[in-house]
Amino acid sequence: MLEAKGANGKPIVSAEDQAYFNGLNDNLRALLNDLVQKEVITRPEHLATLLGLQLRSQKMEVLLQNRCILCHTDSEAQSAETLFSVPTGSNKPAAHMNLKEIVEDTHFRRGLSCAGCHGGDPSADFGHDFVKEWPDKDRQKNRGWVVQFCARCHSDPKIMHEFNPSLPTDQLAKFESSPHGRTLLEQHDDRAPSCVSCHGVHGIRPAKDPQSKVYAQHVPETCGACHANAKTMAGFKLPDGSPLPTNQLAEYRDSVHGRALLVRGDLGAPACNTCHGNHAATPPGVTQVSRSCSLCHSANSSLFDGSKHKLAFDQHNWPECGKCHGNHAIAKTHDSMLATGPGQLCGDCHRQYAKDHPECIRTADYFHDTITQMDQARTKFIAVSEKLATKGLDVDPINNQLTELGDALKKSRTYVHSFSRNTFQQVAAPGEEAVKRTDTLVSQAGEEYKYRQIGLAVSIALIGILMLAMYLKLRQMEK
Amino acid sequence: MKPDVDLTAEKTGGVRGWLDRRYQLTPLFEFLRHKEVPIGSHWMGWYYLGGITMFFFIVQVITGVLLLMYYQPGEATAYESIRFLTTKVPFGWLIRSIHSWSAHLMIISLTLHMFSTMMLKAYRPPREMTWVSGYLLFLLTLGFGFSGYLLPWNKLAYFATTVGTNIVKSVPLLGNWLLQVLRGGQDVTINTLYRFFAAHVVILPLAFVGLIGLHLLLIQRQGMAPPLGERTAPRGMKFFPSFAMRDALLWLACLMALAALAVFLPYGPGIPGMDWELGEKADPLAPAYPGIKPEWYFLWEYQLLKEFPPHLFGLEGPQVCLLLIAVLFGIWAIIPWLDRRAYQDKPSPAFSDFGWAAILFLTYLTLMGWDIGARGISDELAALHNVARVCAWWTLAAGVVVIVVRYLRFEHRWFILTGAVLLQVALHGLAGVSYLLAGVISVAVAAVAIVISYATRSRAHSSDSR
Repeated sequence: MLEAKGANGKPIVSAEDQAYFNGLNDNLRALLNDLVQKEVITRPEHLATLLGLQLRSQKMEVLLQNRCILCHTDSEAQSAETLFSVPTGSNKPAAHMNLKEIVEDTHFRRGLSCAGCHGGDPSADFGHDFVKEWPDKDRQKNRGWVVQFCARCHSDPKIMHEFNPSLPTDQLAKFESSPHGRTLLEQHDDRAPSCVSCHGVHGIRPAKDPQSKVYAQHVPETCGACHANAKTMAGFKLPDGSPLPTNQLAEYRDSVHGRALLVRGDLGAPACNTCHGNHAATPPGVTQVSRSCSLCHSANSSLFDGSKHKLAFDQHNWPECGKCHGNHAIAKTHDSMLATGPGQLCGDCHRQYAKDHPECIRTADYFHDTITQMDQARTKFIAVSEKLATKGLDVDPINNQLTELGDALKKSRTYVHSFSRNTFQQVAAPGEEAVKRTDTLVSQAGEEYKYRQIGLAVSIALIGILMLAMYLKLRQMEK
Repeated sequence: MKPDVDLTAEKTGGVRGWLDRRYQLTPLFEFLRHKEVPIGSHWMGWYYLGGITMFFFIVQVITGVLLLMYYQPGEATAYESIRFLTTKVPFGWLIRSIHSWSAHLMIISLTLHMFSTMMLKAYRPPREMTWVSGYLLFLLTLGFGFSGYLLPWNKLAYFATTVGTNIVKSVPLLGNWLLQVLRGGQDVTINTLYRFFAAHVVILPLAFVGLIGLHLLLIQRQGMAPPLGERTAPRGMKFFPSFAMRDALLWLACLMALAALAVFLPYGPGIPGMDWELGEKADPLAPAYPGIKPEWYFLWEYQLLKEFPPHLFGLEGPQVCLLLIAVLFGIWAIIPWLDRRAYQDKPSPAFSDFGWAAILFLTYLTLMGWDIGARGISDELAALHNVARVCAWWTLAAGVVVIVVRYLRFEHRWFILTGAVLLQVALHGLAGVSYLLAGVISVAVAAVAIVISYATRSRAHSSDSR
């Protein structure tokens, strides 16, 4: 069967697959032999489909013991709807019948195959009626059963311990407490997601698998499938009664977080679930916003917590970080945010809510001026340093100071969140010192260059005088 | 026992007398007093180029010794010591900058010296060995350049040396062994640096000093070559003091130029292959980056290698290229014996033309090596074509100027080889023919032209004698 040739004279089982077969262990080869003798595999094309998956031996063993898959991969015995096949180019099988997906499923790998969910005995012949019955006759109408069904195993610590001891078993409890869960289970609204909406059906992969629908970089798209769809979200409301917006995905994609995760591929950047949670996905309340942000921005957050603003924001019931930085559309921060002129963040807010505290405006101006001056000095000195380097001067000391200045600048931008002049000054002072030292070093380098030029001029003058004397002597001698 | 020299016999007093009694210097002084430099119909300037080259060599020795006082070859010290030297040691920057500038200027003056000697046919008898010793000095100078380049152990030098040494792999049979000898292992490592260091500061200087001694001895024994056909009645310029003083004046001018260049352009003129900014330290584990090019004087070989396909005549392309380069270098070495007309002190227009053809050949390859004309073109193939086109126009323009000047000023009438090179340039750069095919066509055309030229001449000659 391995060496059979097709109508075009080419071997049906490719050389690569034959090599794979030759590399299989004795047990698997015996299993394959047995299946051929029992006439489960009768045709070389069928064998080629199975070998072509190039599965690792453990998975191959699971596959060869699974009668469901063995029958459903025989293209002669199955119709187009019931055939499990590997998609090749334009020939796309029905989504849940993708053989590649089925064998890549995390459940399949651990031996939980078709019968694990569909019932029946996969090692024996059986009828197919149960599939239609399973597990609920009305399964297409009310999707609520799905979560209960998955939870049979996933909420049972004993069962889960056998397969993956580190996996939590509280998903159902979390889901039930979430707006998603309540909508699905209490209001029986099928627009709400069940487990399969995010994890898939056949071909469920662990969240760390880059091909998983819940892999960090795919989460925004997975959530956006519903939340960016105005039709699906129609009728859902925010606590204040306004309609639930559908622009989160677009805003997120353009935000500093979205760009980091989706464009730069920084897996440390937050996706939807980082702030909202996953199985218990809920919009963070006003008081919880800063807690979400502080998971990453801990320095800024703790400075804010100790600041005057904390109290003021709490009084106004403002979401702390979100008030200035926004939520889904968080843009890259800029020093001009500290400016106090009309139409600018600090100034506008303070003129409206803190008219009686003119010193606050002065503090903001101080922050803004100090940071801007350091930033401008840094930009200027970097250019100067490059220019001095091309002149052959030693710029290492200058660059060391610029590194120090850069560090101080970064720290100062963080310490703005203390909203305290003194605290800010402590970290800005080394930066201001570095600016002064750099300035001195730059003028020293300039003087060194001048010294070189003067030295050159003197040398040239001396050599010139010597040359002139020699020339005159030569003329005199040649006369 | 009778003393060798009668020390009591007072000839002249003072130091001169004291020395003369012991070392019999009078004949030497007499020789120098009567030594003359021939004045002919040609420009005297050419006679000074050898002296200028020697000046740059002396500068190299002095600055090299000063660099050696701080340089420490080694994985963790080579780069660091050069960095320390240029940033912390007083005038360290000046010494390194002058060493680098002087190295490049030495190669320039040496090349000019070699070509002027070639054009003036100064290699003709009895000065064949002066040519050969000068030729060997030229090869040693290239060796100095190649070995010195690696010593700062920076990134650029590391990769350029990796690429450069890789070429010897193409030498048939011995290639791999030679590579190992050159690198001190399979790859460029710190062992390579030790080897190059030994070569740069001991082996090459010893060989160079020996050869330069021979070269100068031959020149002193035979005098400088008079212009072609003026062997019999040359007027002379006194070597001492007239020529020597002029030499000294030029050396001082060069010293001035070196100082000014070192202060205003400490890392070179900014031309690729003529730039010695230290940059980052070499990292043998880092991936090689694209666009690594050798120093400007190796660019023509680099470009020629690029023009060869991977396989040619059943051999590897680089092997054939190396063979071609070896043949060209070989011909250059034995020119005194090839040029039969100069041998008889007659004008040899074919060899003058050969010299110019060589210059244009090197010019075109070097210009292409510099990627002139590639700026602003993102498509690699289009950029290659444009480089060939732009460089071809420049080379053709230079070629036309050369031919016109030679025709009008020097009344040259033999342009077959220059024409062949220009034909190759035009075919490759303007018509898009591959470099090698263009070369083959040009060589064939030149061969036919030479045969016809000789046939016509010998017919004219025989009818004259009839």
